[in-house]
Amino acid sequence: MFGNSTARTKVKQVAESLNAYSTRGYEALSKAEQFTEAEYLPDETEPLSYVSYSYWRSSLRIFWHNKTAMFFLFLIALTLLFTFIQPYIPNQKDPTLIHNDETGIQIINRPPNDEFIFGTNAIGQDLWSRTWSGTRTSLFIGFVVAVVEAVIGVVIGVMWGYARKLDFIFTELYNVFDNIPQTLILILISYVLHPSLETIIFALCLTGWLTTARYIRNQVMIIRDRDYNLASRCLGTPAYLIILRNLLPYLVSIITMRMAMAIPYAISNEVFVTYIGLGLPLSIPSLGNLIVSGIDKMMEPNLRYQLIFPTVVLCIVTISFYIIGNAFADASDPKNHVA
Amino acid sequence: MNILSVKDLNISFNLRGENLRVIRDVSIDVKHGETLAIVGESGSGKSVFCKSLMGLLDANGHVDNGEIIYNSEDLVKYKTESDWRKIRGREIAMVMQDPMTSLNPLLSIGKQLTETITLHQKLRGAAARDIAIGYLRDVGIPQPERRLKQYPHEFSGGMRQRVVIAIAIACRPKLLICDEPTTAIDVTIQAQILELIKALQHKYKLTTIYITHDLGVVANVADRIAVMYAGEFVEIGSAQDIFYRPRHPYTWALLLSMPQWAAKGESLYSIEGSPPNLTTRVIGDAFAPRNPHALKVDFVERPPLFKVNKHHFAKTWLLDPRAPKIELPPLRHTPQSSDYKKTFDTEPLLEVQDVTVTFKRGKNKLDAVKNVSFSIYKGETFGVVGESGSGKTTLGRAILRIYEPSHGVIYFKGKRISGKISNEDDKQLTRDIQMIFQDPMSSLNERAKVESIVAEGLLNLGKVAKDEKRDKVRRSLSEVGLRPEFADRFPHEFSGGQRQRIGIARAMIMSPEFIVADEPISALDVSIRAQALNLMSRLQKEKGLSYLFISHDLSVMRYICDRIAAMYRGVMVELADTETLFSRPMHPYTRSLLSAVPIPDPEQEKNKRLIAYDPSEHIYDEELPFWTQIERNHFVYCNIIEAEKYKRMYD
Repeated sequence: MFGNSTARTKVKQVAESLNAYSTRGYEALSKAEQFTEAEYLPDETEPLSYVSYSYWRSSLRIFWHNKTAMFFLFLIALTLLFTFIQPYIPNQKDPTLIHNDETGIQIINRPPNDEFIFGTNAIGQDLWSRTWSGTRTSLFIGFVVAVVEAVIGVVIGVMWGYARKLDFIFTELYNVFDNIPQTLILILISYVLHPSLETIIFALCLTGWLTTARYIRNQVMIIRDRDYNLASRCLGTPAYLIILRNLLPYLVSIITMRMAMAIPYAISNEVFVTYIGLGLPLSIPSLGNLIVSGIDKMMEPNLRYQLIFPTVVLCIVTISFYIIGNAFADASDPKNHVA
Repeated sequence: MNILSVKDLNISFNLRGENLRVIRDVSIDVKHGETLAIVGESGSGKSVFCKSLMGLLDANGHVDNGEIIYNSEDLVKYKTESDWRKIRGREIAMVMQDPMTSLNPLLSIGKQLTETITLHQKLRGAAARDIAIGYLRDVGIPQPERRLKQYPHEFSGGMRQRVVIAIAIACRPKLLICDEPTTAIDVTIQAQILELIKALQHKYKLTTIYITHDLGVVANVADRIAVMYAGEFVEIGSAQDIFYRPRHPYTWALLLSMPQWAAKGESLYSIEGSPPNLTTRVIGDAFAPRNPHALKVDFVERPPLFKVNKHHFAKTWLLDPRAPKIELPPLRHTPQSSDYKKTFDTEPLLEVQDVTVTFKRGKNKLDAVKNVSFSIYKGETFGVVGESGSGKTTLGRAILRIYEPSHGVIYFKGKRISGKISNEDDKQLTRDIQMIFQDPMSSLNERAKVESIVAEGLLNLGKVAKDEKRDKVRRSLSEVGLRPEFADRFPHEFSGGQRQRIGIARAMIMSPEFIVADEPISALDVSIRAQALNLMSRLQKEKGLSYLFISHDLSVMRYICDRIAAMYRGVMVELADTETLFSRPMHPYTRSLLSAVPIPDPEQEKNKRLIAYDPSEHIYDEELPFWTQIERNHFVYCNIIEAEKYKRMYD
C-alpha cells in the first residue's frame, strides 16, 4: 500500500507544509462563520525560515551533480589510495633494486609479464614499483608546494589587499617579480643548488605563491569594504579578527580551488625541470625522471612501454586535479547557485 | 481601446530544484495613452511581470499559462529571439533603473543613438545625426551637438538617464516600460526626469507603465495604479481611488504607515512581519497573517477580484456581501501638526567644530566635508539631509572615527575624540557611539551565526562568560522584537526587516548613548519602514539615545528628526528646527530640495512646483559667505547681502 513513491510524496508534503500558510483549521467552519474576524497572531506575520539557502550545501550539491568531476574524483581517489597501499601489498619489489636472473645478468628492458607488471627498465629495475614510487614522490611535491603556496599566498595576499598603505609597495614588488619568467627562476635555482627533493620544492614554491597572492588580494579588496566589515570596525574588532572571521571564511572555496590547481602545475613543472636535466637524481624515482628515461626508448616500438606507463599515470593525476579544481570553482561560484 | 491585455498570466521560476510561482493569475488591461503604475515591494513580482512582456525572463523562468495580447497577437506564443525582436524596442521599449549599466561605456552617445535610429527608422549619416540631435534636445540635454561626441562617463547620473530615455524614444515605441527609472537618482533630478517622461509621453503619444515601490512617484505620474502583493494584483484602480478610497487592507495599511502624515511623537501605524517569500505556498489571501482585521475566510480561500466601480477592483473578502463591516483607521493626507516637544540638556553631547575631511588620491584632493560645525544634545535626533556627494556619509564616519578630519575637532561629552586618543578612551567610545547601516543585506556577515554577530562588540570589550554572553544576546534580540531563539540561525534565513533588527541589536548590546544611522530605512521595503522607525523611536525613549539620522528623504525626516541640517557638496548650507525648516526654508538649495520631495498624494503632487537650484546664483566675489544665524536657532551659509534678503523673506 505504501509504495516508495507514496512515501516520497508524503515526505515532500510534510516539507512543503512547513513552508506554507496555515489555514488554522478555519476550513472546517461554515461559510457564515468564516466571514467573521480572525484572531491576529503576531508570531505568524513573519515566514519563519526566510530562505533555505546555504552556501556550502549549494556548492557541494552542484559539485556532486557534475558527472565528469565525479568520475575524475573517483579516479584520483583510487590512484591516491593505491599509491599509498602499494608498498604494503605482498610481493612488491624495491623500486631501486636492480634485478638479476639466475646467471647474474641484469634483467634489462624486459617487456611487461607476470613477474614485472610494467616490465623492467634499461638497468633492470622494476618499472611497476618505480612508477608508483615516482607517483608518490610527485604527489608529495605537488601537495607540499600547494600547501606552501597557499599559506604564503594567503598571508601576503590578505595583507596586500587589506592594508591600503601596503598596496603600493606590494603592487610594485609584484610587477618586478612577475616580469621575471618563472621558468628562468626555476632553472636558476635548480642549477645553483644541489639536485634534491628539497631543492625542487623550494624552487617551485619560490614562484608559485605570487599568482595566488595576487588573486587573494583582488578578492580581499572586493569584500574588504562591505558594510559588515565596517560594522566590525565600529564595534572595535581588531584587524586580525576581522581578517580571520570576516574575510577568510569567504575565501575558503577560492583557496581550495587554487590548491587543487597548484598540484598538477607543480607536478608538470617537476617533469619539466627533470627533462632539462636539473631535476631529481635517478635514485629517487619521480614521474619526471621516469618519463625522461622513457623518452630515450620512444623510437623503439617494443620498449615504448617504458614511456607510456608513467605518462598515463601522470595524465591521470594532472588531468583529474585540473578538472576537479575547475568543477569546484564553478560549483562554489554563487552565480551558479540559481538553477 | 486596449494596447495590451494580460489574461490569467502565471509565471514560475525553477530555483534549486524548487518551483516558485512568482506571478499568480494576473490580469490587466492597459489602455492607449494612459500611465499605469505597478506598485509593489521587492519580491512582489512586479519586475518579472514587466520583463515577461518583452520576453526578457531569466533562463530559469517561464510562463506557465495565460495570455499577453498585444496588437491582437499573443506574446506568450513567441519562442525565438527573432519573434521578440519584432516587439522589443520598436513596439515596447524599456528604461531600466541604473543608467550606468544600460549604456555601452565604449561607444559615444551619438554612436549609440544613431545606431538605434538607423535600425528602427532606416536613416543613415547626417540625417540620422540630425534626428539624434533632435532627440537629445527633446530629453533636455543642453548643447546636443557637442554632447553627441561624448562618452557615457562624461555625463552625470541624471543626464545619463536622459540619454537612455532618448535611445528608448528613438525606437519609436508605442509602449514605454519604466522600471524604477529614478530610484538610483537624486531627489531633485528625479522630479525633473519624471516631468520629462510626462512631456515625452504627450509629444510621442506613448503609453507608459511605471514599476516602482515609491508611492510619491506613483502619486506624481499615475493615471491608474495596480498594487502588487505576493505575485498578485490585489487592487487596481484610478490614482484617486487607490489613494483616497482604497479597499484592500494591504493598500490601506501601506497608506496608513506613511511617515509623511504622522504626527511627531506618536508611533506609526506599522504592518508587522514581512511579505511571504517565493517559496511559501500561499493559501487564501497572501496578506491575511499580517492583517489584524483579517477574516477567517482569508486563511482558507483565495478572494476573487471584486468590482468596486467601473475602474476599481480589489481582491479582498471584505467586499463580499457576507463580510462584516470592519472599521479601518482613517487615512490622512496632510502632515499632522503636534504640540509634541522634546526637551534636551543644555550641554551638548556631541560637538563638531569646523571639521573638514579631505580625501587624497595621488595629487588630487577632495574636501568631502568642508568646515562643518554643529552640536547634538542628549535625547535629540539630528538629521543631515543631502544628495549623493553631499558629504553626509563622510561626516557620519568622521564621528565614528573611521575617517580622520584633516581640520577641526570633534568633542563627545566634552572630550576630544578626533585625532589621537588614549586606548581607554577609544574603548569607551566604541561603547558610546554605534552605527546603524543602510543595507541590511551587506551589513551582516553571512558566514557567522546571529549569536556571534550580536555578541561581537561585547567580546571585544573583554572576557565574557558563556552564559552571560548568551543571556545578553537573547535580551538584546528581544529588545528589538526578535525571538531569542533566532540566535542560533544564520543571517540568510531572515528577511530584510529582520536583518535590520539584528544590526540594531548588535549596536544596542554595547548600550550606546549616541547612534549614527546612515540611511537606516531607505533600503527597506515600504511596509517595513514603519516598524524600523517605531523601533528607533522606542529605543530612544527607553534609553535616552541620541541619533544622527542621515538621509536623502526629507519627508521621513520630518517625522523623526528634531533638527535638520542640509548639506550640499560638503558644505552645510542650512540648519534649523524641523518645523522651521519646512515652513521657512531660506537657502535656495533647501528650498529646491523641499520642492522636489515626492509626496504620496496625487492632488499635492499635481500642484507641486519645482524650484531648481543653480549654485552660480550666489555671487561671492566681494562678500564671502559664512555660517550666519538668521533667526533664533536657524542658521544659513550665506554672505551679508544674502542674510539681509533671508531675514526679510518671510515678513
